[in-house]
Amino acid sequence: MIEFDRVSKTYGEGAGQVRALQDVSFSVAAGEYVAIMGASGTGKSTLMHLLGGLDTPSAGVYRLDGVDVAGLNDDGLSALRNRKIGFVFQQFHLLERTTALQNVLLPLIYADDYPADAEARGRRVLEAVGLGDRMDHRPNELSGGQQQRVAVARALINDPALLLADEPTGNLDRQSGLQLLSVFKRLHQQGRTIIVVTHDEQVAEHADRIRVLRDGRIADDRRVPEPRDADAGLETLAASEGAAGAQQPEAEVVP
Amino acid sequence: MRITRIARQGARSMGAHKLRSFFMMLGTLIGVAAMVVVMAAGAGAKANVMSRVAGFGSGALMVNAGGGRGHSMPQEGVVTLTPQDADAIRAQVRGVDIAASQAVKRGASIKAGSAQAFGTVLGVEPSWHAAWDWPVERGRAISEEDMLTMARVCVIGATIERDLFGGLDPIGQTLQLDNVRCQVVGVLAVRGTSPMGGDMDNRVVIPLTTALRRVFNQEHLASIRVKLSDPRRSQATADEIQALLHERHHITPPAEDDFAIVSETDVTQAVSGIEGTLTRLLTALAGLSLLVGGMVLMNILLLSVNERRKEIGLRRALGARERDVLHQFLAESLAITLLGMLLGTAFGWAVALGLGATIGMPVALTWAPVAIGAAAALAVGLGFGIQPARRAARLDPIKALA
Repeated sequence: MIEFDRVSKTYGEGAGQVRALQDVSFSVAAGEYVAIMGASGTGKSTLMHLLGGLDTPSAGVYRLDGVDVAGLNDDGLSALRNRKIGFVFQQFHLLERTTALQNVLLPLIYADDYPADAEARGRRVLEAVGLGDRMDHRPNELSGGQQQRVAVARALINDPALLLADEPTGNLDRQSGLQLLSVFKRLHQQGRTIIVVTHDEQVAEHADRIRVLRDGRIADDRRVPEPRDADAGLETLAASEGAAGAQQPEAEVVP
Repeated sequence: MRITRIARQGARSMGAHKLRSFFMMLGTLIGVAAMVVVMAAGAGAKANVMSRVAGFGSGALMVNAGGGRGHSMPQEGVVTLTPQDADAIRAQVRGVDIAASQAVKRGASIKAGSAQAFGTVLGVEPSWHAAWDWPVERGRAISEEDMLTMARVCVIGATIERDLFGGLDPIGQTLQLDNVRCQVVGVLAVRGTSPMGGDMDNRVVIPLTTALRRVFNQEHLASIRVKLSDPRRSQATADEIQALLHERHHITPPAEDDFAIVSETDVTQAVSGIEGTLTRLLTALAGLSLLVGGMVLMNILLLSVNERRKEIGLRRALGARERDVLHQFLAESLAITLLGMLLGTAFGWAVALGLGATIGMPVALTWAPVAIGAAAALAVGLGFGIQPARRAARLDPIKALA
């Protein structure tokens, strides 16, 4: 489904040239749930931009769903992003003063054919992420976790080949993060191909497989024998908070 | 259609940022409104001039007492124009059909019993009616016999009739001009407003001889109305009259004339010339307002492109092509200028009608400023919107999202 074959990416020219990625090769099968880990400066962002069709490799071959991405011009890349990729960003990136439903329908505006059942589709994906009762809310009326789930619904509206998430829990509290990962788990069970780019090992361990980037190369590639279960994590959290609730809330100890 | 979906995004962004959009459209709004007002006033003035000039009559000249070009009114206190000048014009100038003398007293007090009115007393020859195409509606006109006998008779205008006699039949009644009593023998056809805006129905017309000897006690005329047998020879006839009067009044150019010859074209030019200059000036100001408004629009749009980098980056990530972003921003600036145009047109019409109602400015609403306003709004929207739109389209989505 996804094939990276000796992909390199360099920025700048001459003496100032920076090699962000060097001969990276890997593949992701359809239906896989993969985490790409790395500290900042390891080429993680570059890899994410290449995977997302926001940029093209300097060398090597990237095939997504049978399309050679390196050969695409800007319009081609735009169409690829629109049809084959669903983005989830750390910052949510929802349009303000626009309802959840309208935000979810945004990618359809850039599709060649606007589906007649767009609104029904939008409602379906919002229900799928547990926001059936929040469709007409604007982002400032939603919690961070809800906003990120709107973003997931938006990523799913075009039924993309790849759901690509960049630090999706980075701006969320622990509970909202687990709720989001629980949504990912369900999507994975339904056969969605998911790549999560993160520096957080605990997030990465929800995936089937972890690839670690170091200095622009894949340094480690391992299967997760027993991926963490987000739903179980939520239960544990609820239990511990219930226990904590019996004690004095921390905030009130401070005079 | 993809482009209509994208245009709708642009228009929606305008609605989502009402205050910002209002400032962006302000220049267009004011510019178009100013233009609508100016053009309504211009068209109103033009219609007014045309209807008034029509009253002057074609194929006619006026020889007015008092010099200077562009005067369409005789100057009072100039005593050099006489009935003998009119006789000479009749006798010596070719192509003169009628030359009708006229002596004038404005603001005269006219009484009938206890009723009083103010109006213009005209001393005229019988040919005056034909020279001005101004017949009597009822009764009879001033006759040759009236002239010979210095008869104390008068023909009155509709305003005088109304003011002095109310609903009564004025014919056979007597009215008093200073200390001369005159019998009303006729009523003039209603004439309305003069080229200079005065009431033309406040006239009391008496025989010229009566006027000079009995009422005004003077020898001079205010003007001679000349009707031409061939309207195309207007200029040649005017030149001949000028030469004749130079000789009779002993004037050698460059000494200034003590009379002025006014043709229909002079009246049109004098009236519309002033208003035309004013209209051009105000239209230029309206244009300037559009230009300044366009600059404001462009700068706010440029700022908003910077402010909306994330939105642009997001749209690109979700599949918007460069030209989709370009179209969205152009649609936004066009939506703003076109809405500004519509509001400006409505505002301008309201102001024009308000001016018409309150200060009596003649206005005529035409579609021309709407068409020009729409073209100007398109030009401003595209012309000043293109650069911000290009800048938005060329943003690198990766940098915009960062």
